[in-house]
Amino acid sequence: MKKNNNLSRRDFINRSVRVSAFIGLGGLGAILFKNNVSGETIWQLDASKCIQCGRCATDCVLAQSAVKCMHVYDMCGYCDLCGGYFRTEVKDLTTAAENQLCPTRAIERKFVEEPFFEYKIDEKLCIACGKCVAGCGAFGNGSLQLQVNPDICTNCNQCSIAKNCPTDSFQKVPVNKPYKFSK
Amino acid sequence: MQKWKFIIVLFAFNLLVINAIGQKRFPKPEFETEYMQPQMHSPLPRANILEYLDILILVGSLSLISWVIVKKRSRKAVFWITVFSVIYFGFYRQGCICSVGSIQNVSFALFNPGSEIPFSALVFFFIPIIYTLLFGRTFCAGICPLGALQELFVFKPINLEAWLEKILGILPFIYLGLAVLYSATGTDFIICRYDPFVGFFRFNASFMMLIVGGIFLLLGVFIARPYCRFLCPYGALLNLFSRFSRKHLTITPNECIQCRLCEDSCPVGSIENPNLLKERENPKKSTKRYISYLIILPVLIIIGGLSISSFHENLAMANAKVRLAKEIMNKTNFGLIDDEALEISGFKTSGQSVSELFEEASNVVNSFYYGSWFLGAYLGLVFGLTLINLNVFRYSPDYTINKATCHSCARCVDYCPIKKSV
Amino acid sequence: MKQKVFIGALLIIIVVAISLMVKDFVDTKNTSKKNPYKYDLESLKKIDSTKFCFKEIHQLELEISEPKCIAVDNQSNIFVGGQDEISVFDKFGKFTYALKASSAVNCMAISSFDELYVGTKNSIQLWNHERKLEKSWLIKADNVLITSLAIKDSSIFVADAGNGIVWHYNINGELLNRIGDKDTVQGIFGFVIPSSYFDLKIGRDGELWVVNPGRHSLEAYTDEGNLISSWTKSSMQIQGFCGCCNPSNIAILSNGSFVTSEKGIERVKVYKPSGEFDCVVAGPDSFEKGTKGIDLAVDSDDRIVVLDPLKKVVRIFVKL
Repeated sequence: MKKNNNLSRRDFINRSVRVSAFIGLGGLGAILFKNNVSGETIWQLDASKCIQCGRCATDCVLAQSAVKCMHVYDMCGYCDLCGGYFRTEVKDLTTAAENQLCPTRAIERKFVEEPFFEYKIDEKLCIACGKCVAGCGAFGNGSLQLQVNPDICTNCNQCSIAKNCPTDSFQKVPVNKPYKFSK
Repeated sequence: MQKWKFIIVLFAFNLLVINAIGQKRFPKPEFETEYMQPQMHSPLPRANILEYLDILILVGSLSLISWVIVKKRSRKAVFWITVFSVIYFGFYRQGCICSVGSIQNVSFALFNPGSEIPFSALVFFFIPIIYTLLFGRTFCAGICPLGALQELFVFKPINLEAWLEKILGILPFIYLGLAVLYSATGTDFIICRYDPFVGFFRFNASFMMLIVGGIFLLLGVFIARPYCRFLCPYGALLNLFSRFSRKHLTITPNECIQCRLCEDSCPVGSIENPNLLKERENPKKSTKRYISYLIILPVLIIIGGLSISSFHENLAMANAKVRLAKEIMNKTNFGLIDDEALEISGFKTSGQSVSELFEEASNVVNSFYYGSWFLGAYLGLVFGLTLINLNVFRYSPDYTINKATCHSCARCVDYCPIKKSV
Repeated sequence: MKQKVFIGALLIIIVVAISLMVKDFVDTKNTSKKNPYKYDLESLKKIDSTKFCFKEIHQLELEISEPKCIAVDNQSNIFVGGQDEISVFDKFGKFTYALKASSAVNCMAISSFDELYVGTKNSIQLWNHERKLEKSWLIKADNVLITSLAIKDSSIFVADAGNGIVWHYNINGELLNRIGDKDTVQGIFGFVIPSSYFDLKIGRDGELWVVNPGRHSLEAYTDEGNLISSWTKSSMQIQGFCGCCNPSNIAILSNGSFVTSEKGIERVKVYKPSGEFDCVVAGPDSFEKGTKGIDLAVDSDDRIVVLDPLKKVVRIFVKL
């Protein structure tokens, strides 16, 4: 007799806590859903805020950073003396390795027609150090920009580059607008 | 129906190459030859619809494992589902997003009105809790990628003493409190940062975290599921909810013949031996102690709040804004001598004034003050309740499964000679 | 017993692991990483002090938003054009009056009859000497971006960076001819304009000097568009024009020497009429990093007037 009462008392407590837990969770879920929920987002960096600090290359959790330099051809001037391709004290404008700024030789220079040259980035070699971005930004139109490659990026819950970016350029963008180039 | 239309449209939209970027700031050079400007390589991110696939697989595998544990009670099936989780949620999805980390997303969204939480994070937070309320910690058994990985490393589990387990069992609650504090203030997602196993799933991590991960896995050979039992903050939550679960894995008292074969079967020591009245301590003494614990409980809460809140500035230093404000105010340049610290140069390009930064930083420190009061009080409460719990004697003539700490791995099932008893 | 020792050892290992994590957390608070890939222009930005031949005597603070261009009249009054107004200062730097502009002022020029010509993005406005808008006309073409104006007698030369040519109008707004179209017979390559900086000025003998920024050269043309001469200097060093497209702006002293300003490595220099490097007016130390469009003008006393658009000041230099 006594045993029966004990069990049902325990059962009652269990049940009431459980039901109130459900209700509480439901309420919390509804609040969050109504106010805050967004669709899937990915990390992207705002190229207009970037100061080319080099942390994109060193801070990504992946061995070779998911950030890559991308070339906005629409903005490129196709210059002979490309600020992003050649190092600052270059003597002659050839594709010799000692003239190049990029530490991994990821930029390919190709003659188009007088006096225009095309500069293409091999993403497999790019480490996102930002030197070419700084050069193009200083001397050129700023058509070379660092951006997160969403194919490679694992979309961590907290991006470790974002945490250390000195200008707070990293933000979560919706999946249908994955890039943030600067104009 | 609306939702599906939306998904399909979004999916189709994603397939198009979006070329709204690179507005011509300046007319391009005019090429006289047949030169065609190359198409900029701008790969698209993972399609939105795969997010819903993840949720589906979560719900599906969680339902399956719950049925397998509670209804079919098959250790083998649990094992294979565990392997599946390690492969899918672990190596394929690279351990992110996981339910453990979703706590931070939820707390950030709660305390920062206007901020956004991805739908998948919301689902990954709530669904396992709901299943735990129904069936116990079946999520821990073989769905959580961290738990699943540790589960595969359990070979020679040693049972720890009860008092040791109880003390170490406080750690997850501390971790939970810290994680909520730091994520609510937008400072850091420490669970993600110090996740020991994500490095293995990604094949990539800092050296220290690989060492820590390795330690946990090797440890796990002897002390089963060290992260789950002694660190996991989500486990702390599920621990609480599992106590009120509707249909947990139980040892049916009527059918149990007390053969004692299951005594040492639980790798995490959740099977409790019968507690007979004769082993009970002198009730007068224990009641006195119980009452004194009840009295000092509010004292503990206040002491906890006071002591943690006195540290709140140190805790707040982890926040980047606060640190930047402090370095600018003290002109210490982050300890660098020759160059200006990048944080300071970067701040200068932002256009925000120093006074605005100081104001924001002091707001953060303020929220840390209140947050650490809560944290301290909560820790005092946890400590006090643990003490009280240690003191309570629960009479039980049967072998019982401790619902709070049982991870539902169903190892014990194979030990029981009576079919369908456990 | 052995088991207890073993468990103890395992527990110590757990504590070690957790303390590693805590230590890492505390450590991250204390450091600021330096940039191992720093793009270093410091060595190029140092200029030998003996190379300076001008000194700054005066600075005018500007209140207008987004100052873009500067011009000087025969009385050495200084006109500064911005987003929506033109500020006028006298030769001593005192603010005299302001004019409201209907749209952003890209460039200005003042004729010998004290008429103010204003170039907006694609139109030219004529303000008479009472500073009332008398006339204005659009350039009839696509993608027009006017970056510079020069007046000679009854001719107006308009530099259009969008189309990469110079339009030659008369003061009635009639188009006379285009200058700068590619002409292999004459040896005209055409203007290479990678960015929106394209300047021109009337020279000592009435010839039209136009900057060809993509080629780092200055070219002299007749009114009809015939190429008279040109000179070019490509270099990151002090003697030449750096980067892809420099000089961004020019002015001409009374003896025919050229004053040039560059972006990338911000410097203002003087070249002899032959194109040989002469000396430095102002170096990168005087400008904030990233300053672009340092517009120049020369007043009747051969003082060099320099617009610093980022710091929003006008600097006046005299010869040392």
